[in-house]
Amino acid sequence: MVDQLPNLGREAEMLATMGMSSMEDLFSDIPEEVRMRGTLPLPDAQSEEEIIADARRLLGSNVALGERVSFLGAGLYRNYVPASVFQLITRGEFLTSYTPYQPEVSQGMLQAMWEFQTLISELVGLPIANLSLYDGSTAAAEAITCSVRVHGRKATQKNTVYVSELTPPDRMSVMQNYCQGAEIKIKMLRHNPDGTLNLSSAKEAAGSCGVYVEQPNPIGVLDGGLPLLKEIIGEHTALIVGVQPISLGIVEAPGNYGADIVVGEGQPLGSPITGGGPIYGIFACSKPYLRLMPGRIVGRSIDVDGKEAYCLTLSTREQHIRRHRATSNICTNETLIALMGAMHMALLGPEGLHDLAVRNMAACTLGKQKLAAIHGVSLPHQSSHHFQEFVIELPGQASDCLAYLDSVGIVGGFDLARWYANRPNWLLVSFTDQSRANEIELLAAHIEAWAASQGVSA
Amino acid sequence: MSHLFDHHGAPGKGYSQPAPVLPATEISVPSSLVRKQAARWPRISEPEMVRHYTWLSKRNFGIDTGFYPLGSCTMKHNPRINEVIAQLPGIADIHPHQPEHHLQGLLSIYHEMQHMLEVCAGMDQVTLQPVAGAQGEFTAVRCIQEYFRLRGEDQRTKVIVPDSAHGTNPASAAMCGFEIVEIPSRTDGRIDLDALRAVADETTAVMMITNPNTLGLFEADILEASAIVHDVGGQMYYDGANFNAILGITSPGLMGFDAVHFNLHKTFSQPHGGGGPGSGPIGVKAHLADFLPGPIVKKRPIMGDEAKHAIEDMWFGWYEPVHSIGKVQQWHGNAGAVIRCWAYYRRYGNGLKTMSEHAVLNANYLRHALHREAEKAGVSDMIVDGAETDVAKHEFTISLGPAKESHGISAMDIAKGLLDMGYMAPTVYFPLVVPECMMIEPTETESKETLDTFAEDFAKVLQVDAETLHAAPITTPVRRVDEVYAARNLCLRHPYDED
Repeated sequence: MVDQLPNLGREAEMLATMGMSSMEDLFSDIPEEVRMRGTLPLPDAQSEEEIIADARRLLGSNVALGERVSFLGAGLYRNYVPASVFQLITRGEFLTSYTPYQPEVSQGMLQAMWEFQTLISELVGLPIANLSLYDGSTAAAEAITCSVRVHGRKATQKNTVYVSELTPPDRMSVMQNYCQGAEIKIKMLRHNPDGTLNLSSAKEAAGSCGVYVEQPNPIGVLDGGLPLLKEIIGEHTALIVGVQPISLGIVEAPGNYGADIVVGEGQPLGSPITGGGPIYGIFACSKPYLRLMPGRIVGRSIDVDGKEAYCLTLSTREQHIRRHRATSNICTNETLIALMGAMHMALLGPEGLHDLAVRNMAACTLGKQKLAAIHGVSLPHQSSHHFQEFVIELPGQASDCLAYLDSVGIVGGFDLARWYANRPNWLLVSFTDQSRANEIELLAAHIEAWAASQGVSA
Repeated sequence: MSHLFDHHGAPGKGYSQPAPVLPATEISVPSSLVRKQAARWPRISEPEMVRHYTWLSKRNFGIDTGFYPLGSCTMKHNPRINEVIAQLPGIADIHPHQPEHHLQGLLSIYHEMQHMLEVCAGMDQVTLQPVAGAQGEFTAVRCIQEYFRLRGEDQRTKVIVPDSAHGTNPASAAMCGFEIVEIPSRTDGRIDLDALRAVADETTAVMMITNPNTLGLFEADILEASAIVHDVGGQMYYDGANFNAILGITSPGLMGFDAVHFNLHKTFSQPHGGGGPGSGPIGVKAHLADFLPGPIVKKRPIMGDEAKHAIEDMWFGWYEPVHSIGKVQQWHGNAGAVIRCWAYYRRYGNGLKTMSEHAVLNANYLRHALHREAEKAGVSDMIVDGAETDVAKHEFTISLGPAKESHGISAMDIAKGLLDMGYMAPTVYFPLVVPECMMIEPTETESKETLDTFAEDFAKVLQVDAETLHAAPITTPVRRVDEVYAARNLCLRHPYDED
C-alpha cells in the first residue's frame, strides 16, 4: 500500500490548503445512513514479496499444460508465441495507455491497430476488420446481430438466422444472449455423418438474415462444401464463417469463397490460452456491413500539416455517441492482445504462417494415423479432412479415458459429452505446433492400453 | 516513419520454426479449400520488427509517460509485479476446460476475488464472468430481465438512465431489448427525483445509475431514488465505473442497489492496454443470484481422493446457478485480468479504504489547486465548476464555457494545449450536460507535486491566446488530426500498389 500512494503522510498538509482538517471532511456529502464504518473485513495488506510468494504457491498448484503432454484444444490452442511479443507489449507506452481518444499522442497504438486491421483483412480475404472484440463467441454473436441489422428489411425469413448444429453450447449460449433482445430466431443447420455441412439442409436458410458456420468446424473437419454455401443461401443472406486463424496459412480465405463476415478466436496468433482470457475476437466484413458493424475502427488520415496520421473513425456507430441506438455496447475491447496478434503475424510473414499451418496439420495427421490404428477405437469422420483436431469414438466413456490419461500425466483432450449429450464415448483430440511425435505415440500407446482394459481384445 | 508493410525481406525470417512432424507432402486440404493467394503480410526480421514496435511505442502516451487525468477512466499506476504474475505458467498456460483438480489455485483466487468484491460492494454473490464493464452491464440487466420473466412480470419493458450516464448504460439495456427512458439531471448535476417519480411505474424494470455520478458528485438522495424505483417494483443497477471513490466508505448495497458491475481495469489496475483488455465482474443481491452466468466458484468439503489435489482443507468447485442466463463469453472470464487485480487487491487488503480516500483527496486537492493557480494567473474567469459542490469525489468537472464565450477557446483547445505541456488531456465533452466540459480524475497514485505542477501548467495554457491554442498541439508526433478527412476518405487498411 505504502509503495502505491505518494501522498501518504501528507494528508494534513493537503487538506489544510482546502480548509479541511480531516479525511472525513472529504466525505461530508455522503449521508450517514449509507456510510460503511469500521475496517473492511478483509486480510491485511501484503508486500510485493509476499504477494509473489502467494501467487507462485497458488498458481503453481495449477497444472500448467506445459508440465504435461496435452491434447486439449476445443477452441483454444497452445501455439508457440515468439519471445519478442511478450517483451514488446510490456512497454509502458502500450501497456498503460487508454483508448486513443487523443490521436496526436496515440499514434503508436493507432498505427499498430491499423496495421492489425490490414493483417486480419489479408488473412481472411475481406476488406474491413475492426480492432478486436472480446472473444470468438462474442464476435460470432455480434456478426449475427449485424447480419440482421443489414438484411432485416429484405429478408423473407424475418429476424431469422441459421447456425451449425455443431456449435458448442457455450458459444451458442452467448449467441442466444446477444440475440434475444432483438428477438432474433436461431435455427439449426444439419450435418452429414462425415461431419460436413448438409448442403441440402442449408437451402432452408435462403432468405434468412445470416448463416453461421465454422471452418474448420467444432469437431475439427475442414469442410470442402462450404465454398458452395454462398450460392445456396443467396446474396441477401450473410455468410458468416468462424475460423481458426492459423489454418488460413493453407486453407482458402473465406472472403474468397463468398463469406460476408469472418470471425474467430484470435488467440492462437499471439496469445497464450491464459485460462480462456484475455484473448481476442476477430471480426472482419465486406463493405455493405461497414456502417452497421460493432467495435472500434482506425482510419488513416492527415494532420493539419498534411502529414500521415491515424485516428479512430466511424465512431457514430458506437455507444459513446449513439447511446441506445449504437450497433453494440462494446467499449473496452482486447486491443493489447490484438497487438500481440499483430506482432506474431508480422514475425510469421506469409511463408511463416504457411509453415505454421502445415506443422499443426502434420501433427494432426500423424495423430490420426496413430489413433485410427488402435483396436477398439474408431474415427467417426475418418474420411473427412481435419486441420488440427478430430473425434475418436472410444469403447467406453470419454470421461473415464480422460481420467486414466490424467493419471499417467496426459491431458488427453475434450470430453464431447459436455457438448453433445448423446456422445458419451466421443473424445476430441487436438494437436498444435507444440505436439511432438513422441508425445503423439505416447498418447496412442496409453489409449490403446485403456481400450484394452475396457474389454477390447488386442 | 516506420511502416510495417514496407518490409519485403526474405520469406519466413521473422522467426524460425522446427520441421513438421510429417513431411508437408503427407497432409492434404480438400481441393476446393486450397489457399490460392497467401496473405500479403510483410516479411520482416526480428530486429526490424522489434525496432518498428519500439518506434511505435515512442509515439504513444501511457501512464508511465506522464500524468493521465482522463476522467471516468481511473488511470492509476499499474504495478509491474502484476505483469510478472500474469506470465507464470500457472495462469498463462492453463485451459478453461481442464478439470477442477488441475485448477485449485485459480479457483481459490477466483473465490477470494468474488468474496472481496462482495464485501466491498455489499452484494451477496459475485460472478467474474463478464470481460468488460459494458459486458457487466449487459449481463446484470439480462439477469434482471430473466428474474422478472420468471416472476411473470413481462410488462417491465423500460430501463431508466440519467442523461449524464455513460453511453454504455443505454446501449447495454437496449441490447437486452429494453426501451430506454432518459431523465434529465438537475441544473446542479444531480439526479432529479421528481423526474424519476414521473417516469417510474409498473413498466419500469431497472434504473441504471453511477454514484458518485459522472460529474464526480455523490448523489445524496440515492436512498430516496432507490425507494422510488423499488416502490414500483423495479430494480436498482449500480454502474461501478466510479467505484474507486467509495471502497470502505460506502457501498452499492448500503445505497439500496440490487446489482452492480465492477471495472477491475479501473479500480484494481488491470492495465488498459490502449483500449483493453478489461474485466467486468458483477455482483447481485441474493434474489438475483440464481440468474448469474457461471461458472462461479464455491467452497465445499473435500470428497474422496480430491484430498491429494487440495490446496487447503476445502475444495474449490465450479458451480452453475440454477436459472443462469447462460454465457456472455465462451470461457471463464478474463482470468489473466482477474489474477492481476487479485495481486493489486492483496497490496491493500483491508486498507482499500485508504486507496479510495487518497483518490478523493487528490481530486479535491487538484480542484482547489486549479482554481488557485487560475486565480493567481488572473484567468479564473475562464473556468467554472461543472457543478456546484463543496466536495467532489474521485473526479470533478470544469466548464470552459466562459473561455469559449469570451476568448473563443474551447475545451478541445485546452486539451490540445495540455498535450503540448506533456500531459494526457482530461476527458472532454462528457458528460454532455456540462457545456465545454472537462472531466478530471487524477487517481491516488499521483504525488502532490505532480498535481501542483499540473495546476500551474493548466493556468499557463489558459493564458495562451486563442490563435496559438487553435494550432496546438505542436510538440506531438503529429499535429491536430483531421477526423473528418478520415471519415470522408476511408482508408481502413494498407493500400497495396497492385490493388
